[in-house]
Amino acid sequence: MRLPRLLRTTTFRLTLLFLALFAASASAFLAYIYLATAGEVTHHADARIVREMRSLQGVYRAGGITALNQAVIERSSADHPLLYLLMRPNGVAISGSIAASPVRGSRGHGDWASFMVTQTDPDGATVRRPARGLEERMSGGELLFVGDDVGESASYVMHIVRALWGAGALVIVLGLVGGALISREVGRRIASLTDVTEAVRGGDLRARAWVRGSGDEYDELAAGLNDMLERLERSIGGLRHAGDAIAHDLRSPLTRLRARLEVAMIEADAGRADPKAALHQALEDADGVLRTFAAVLAIARLEAAGDAPDQTLFDPGVLAEDLAELYGPLCEDKDLEFRCEITPALKLRGNREFVAQALANILDNAVKYTPAGGAVMLRVRRRSSGDTELSVTDTGPGVPDAERDRVVERFVRLENSRSQPGVGLGLSLVSAVARAHRGLLELAEGPGAVDGGGPGLRVALVFPSRG
Amino acid sequence: MRILIVEDDADAAGAMATGLADAAHDCDTAGDGEAGLAAARAARFDVLIVDRMMPRMNGVAMVEALRRDGDQTPVLFLSALGEINDRVAGLNAGADDYLVKPYALAELVARVEALARRRETGSVQTLLRVGDLEMDLIGRQVRRAGREIDLQPREFQLLEFLMRHGGQSVTRTMLLEKVWEYHFDPQTNVIDVHISRLRSKIDKGFERQMLQTVRGAGYRLDA
Repeated sequence: MRLPRLLRTTTFRLTLLFLALFAASASAFLAYIYLATAGEVTHHADARIVREMRSLQGVYRAGGITALNQAVIERSSADHPLLYLLMRPNGVAISGSIAASPVRGSRGHGDWASFMVTQTDPDGATVRRPARGLEERMSGGELLFVGDDVGESASYVMHIVRALWGAGALVIVLGLVGGALISREVGRRIASLTDVTEAVRGGDLRARAWVRGSGDEYDELAAGLNDMLERLERSIGGLRHAGDAIAHDLRSPLTRLRARLEVAMIEADAGRADPKAALHQALEDADGVLRTFAAVLAIARLEAAGDAPDQTLFDPGVLAEDLAELYGPLCEDKDLEFRCEITPALKLRGNREFVAQALANILDNAVKYTPAGGAVMLRVRRRSSGDTELSVTDTGPGVPDAERDRVVERFVRLENSRSQPGVGLGLSLVSAVARAHRGLLELAEGPGAVDGGGPGLRVALVFPSRG
Repeated sequence: MRILIVEDDADAAGAMATGLADAAHDCDTAGDGEAGLAAARAARFDVLIVDRMMPRMNGVAMVEALRRDGDQTPVLFLSALGEINDRVAGLNAGADDYLVKPYALAELVARVEALARRRETGSVQTLLRVGDLEMDLIGRQVRRAGREIDLQPREFQLLEFLMRHGGQSVTRTMLLEKVWEYHFDPQTNVIDVHISRLRSKIDKGFERQMLQTVRGAGYRLDA
């Protein structure tokens, strides 16, 4: 059987659980109150009875059975609240205010009994009231019973107990109503979150949760969910874009490759050309396609991984020196001045391979785009903020301010770079490496325009300090 | 050389066999890990080419089983997984080299030959010799026809690798991996520049050019 929605909510169940706990402790509390008050009443009555018993025993010691009988008769008839019964050793009544002893199976020394007395109240109605009594055997063998009506105190206790039960019932009712109200409020907040997840499951990535602005945990959850969706939407958008871009970028070289092969076949059939040259060209085209594919895949994997995998602690200066050694001769060949400024003994936590590849990509670009006679500067330093910066500055044509965000995107190649080899993925990969280390890729103007060249480009990979 | 190709993709296995046969090697093929293990146990091969993901028994399990037998035949792993940790896992399983798909046939042939050569020259050498070129690995000296050649540390490493694989094609990727220990391909011709510097040092002033460029493959040091 399905319960109504409200009764199925966690909050309502918690309310019920809390109420059950409360009811249990309230019961324990009531039991304690009852024992304490009722016990106290009994204690008082018992003390009075014992006192009276001692007093009558004094009378017996002083004046014997006759004096005791006299005292019992006097006290029974007077407007005394206590109950008396004096009996012969065999239990037959001699005198007193009650007809028979309520003590059953008396052994004659200190037997207590609780019982009911029937009395007539001032209106003439008969009422039964609770009473207690003590029976003792006198030295001469006679039995004396002294009792007390505890009805007055007991009814007082009953009042308290009834009030407590009433209060308990009220608490439970209020608790249930309160629980229902809280459940409904919480349910409404949760429902707004559930609506979002439903919408997302249905394929709508633009759905966002309602943030009330109170800054409570529901707001935090909603804000977290929204942030997650934001990232998800962006990364799916990125993948879709990458998919389109791959399709676009693989389709054109594949088409070219296909056309070349077709032409080569026709030419070869006609005996006009050597098919070998066409095959060589085709292989080169295929390699280009594979390189593009590998680069796009590397970026996609890095982005999907979130944080770069296999991070270790290494010296970025040593890594930069290794790369400088790899690229130095290339710069010299292109008549570029290559310089390094490396702060020694820095520590960086990251994936060494990815960082090396990112820096290599930046150096590739600098070497490719800086005209002969220019300069390339590789720098590794710690910023005053504690961040680690790996930067490459060149004196090439630079990237106009307006284009700097765009060149980081996949497959974007500026007009003047079309003549250079490359597929336009270098900086995208650098940017992905930076993001996978929670760092930044910064593009800025180089040293400025000189001799019609410049203004140059400064590309910096900035890794945040951790700890 | 006798080579066993363990690969579930028959087309890919056929292309490999053609490429290796062209380089004058004999090839056997097996279509899955179990068949590959049986074939490797039944005969002696110089190199095994093992695809990492195959039906029945994957490449890692197959190589581990072979290594447990004490079989130390060099293994080249082929994989569509190119991540660094995949490569490390493959090498840990007992493979000697790792090639990510897709690859150029020239790259495959060069690596297979390099693996076989490594096996032949298993003993520790202190002197390498290719033609009239000599390398003293202890004294860190290089001589050609008795004339001493001064090399930078990296040039020395580069030449050492080329000499250890004298007469074989080595690819740019192999050089980048084995000499510089990078596992990515630069967009620029960085390796070519280092090679041309080395060439100017060892071939300059000699009639015969030892350091050859192999079109579509890489370089080769000829005696």
